[in-house]
Amino acid sequence: MSFEEKSVWVEFVSYFIGLGGYLIVAGRMLSNGVSALPPYVPVFAVAVVFIVAVNIVGHIVAAATSRSDEVDERDRLIGWRAESGSSWILGFGVIGAITALIFSVGSVWVAHLLLISLFVSEVTKNVLQIVYYRRGI
Amino acid sequence: MARSRVSIRNQIRILRFRHGEMTQQQLADQVGVTRQTVNAIEGGKYSPSLEVAFRIAHVFGEPLEKVFQFVDAEPGRRG
Repeated sequence: MSFEEKSVWVEFVSYFIGLGGYLIVAGRMLSNGVSALPPYVPVFAVAVVFIVAVNIVGHIVAAATSRSDEVDERDRLIGWRAESGSSWILGFGVIGAITALIFSVGSVWVAHLLLISLFVSEVTKNVLQIVYYRRGI
Repeated sequence: MARSRVSIRNQIRILRFRHGEMTQQQLADQVGVTRQTVNAIEGGKYSPSLEVAFRIAHVFGEPLEKVFQFVDAEPGRRG
């Protein structure tokens, strides 16, 4: 497995656990009627720190267990295709958030709509990259 | 309009064997790609750019068409 593929796995795990975990906690808070944004900030900060920490440790391990950390044309093509196959999800989320603001939906819902679309977009990108690495492109 | 299924076959494995059992890593180092990319090209999982294809042919000292062959999956189809 190349460094780039290991890097994709690290990103996938960090986003899936970090941002996914945050969204589960935030979902419970929303269902309990927490409608102001400030209580969510420390939870989100913990998720961001977790994501950064997993990425740092994961990339150190990936670099230590890989022969080279060079990126070649196949890595770039896989990255571009995965990006083009997933970026529309974030785009829809942004349009949805703008629409929600027009209809005066609460800021806590708008913020989480953006976070969910970011989460789904990133995880989809990582899954597409892994599929392209494994099955070919 | 239906898109034709095409694939590019290659003789990299045979050529590596004929060139002193060159490893994928040695070929990758000379071409400037990762070993995993050479493995993907060899296994038909990735069609390289023209530049990389020429570099591979250059390493083996063979013309491009001796290394890569275009195969149309619909042989009965006419232009």
